[in-house]
Amino acid sequence: MECNGCEFRPELYYDEGYQIWVRREEDGTLTVGMTDLSQTIAGKILTLRVRRPGTRRPSGKPVATIESGKWAGPVPNVFDCEILEGNEEALEDPSLLNIEPYDAWIARVSPVNGADAALADLKVGEEAREGYCQRARDEDIHCERNIR
Amino acid sequence: MNDDLYLDNDEQSVIIVMTSGPSTPERCATPFYLGSILSSMDAEVRIFFTMEGVRLCQRGVPENLQAMEGGKYVIEFMRDARSAGVELHLCSPALPGYEIDPERDIIDEVDEVSGGGVLADLILSSDKVITF
Repeated sequence: MECNGCEFRPELYYDEGYQIWVRREEDGTLTVGMTDLSQTIAGKILTLRVRRPGTRRPSGKPVATIESGKWAGPVPNVFDCEILEGNEEALEDPSLLNIEPYDAWIARVSPVNGADAALADLKVGEEAREGYCQRARDEDIHCERNIR
Repeated sequence: MNDDLYLDNDEQSVIIVMTSGPSTPERCATPFYLGSILSSMDAEVRIFFTMEGVRLCQRGVPENLQAMEGGKYVIEFMRDARSAGVELHLCSPALPGYEIDPERDIIDEVDEVSGGGVLADLILSSDKVITF
């Protein structure tokens, strides 16, 4: 499923700005990554650094930092969690975030108040698709996933 | 686990004193880029514009200034920094010299217009001071 060439996955949860996606895992943990929209806006990602496993990250405190040639900033965090692990493949080769934004996850986290509470304010399904496509249209974002 | 790939810094405060302005556009992007990174690493970051730096907060200037040809406009770097949590402070005593009216000429991205005493306090109370 795409909007302006930007891939959208309806089974994932999204923040308000569609910068990050969150996947619910069977063991109650959550996996966090960047959306196709985000990686396109960032451009070629040169550096990814994740907070050390075991670190508590309250809502608003980023789980990771990314740098591209034209943008630097946080990977936002919208719920209270503890970092379990970073994706070492993506840490070693951050351009994977550009190439496979939904497979190259960034961090796996444990939500402090449980997965249901963490996901309660996120967008999913049709509502998420509409918002995602709206942002792509409004900001005229056309995604590219082959930046290396 | 490769420790070098993970972030493990303490929270710190950083003040970036920005004196560069439109006469040296090549110096007008990095402070905001660095501020964004520091902020996303949990540092409490303030950029204080003084001397010619105040012109970057004058309406119409950062919207039309590029650090390098074909690159992003400075206003976009400033907005990225704010999105990352950086606060932008403007030095009021420097404004008259550039005929900038704080009521009329300032871009919306500025968080506070304050005097030199505030800058002095920030310099003394911050963990790190950087000047550009």
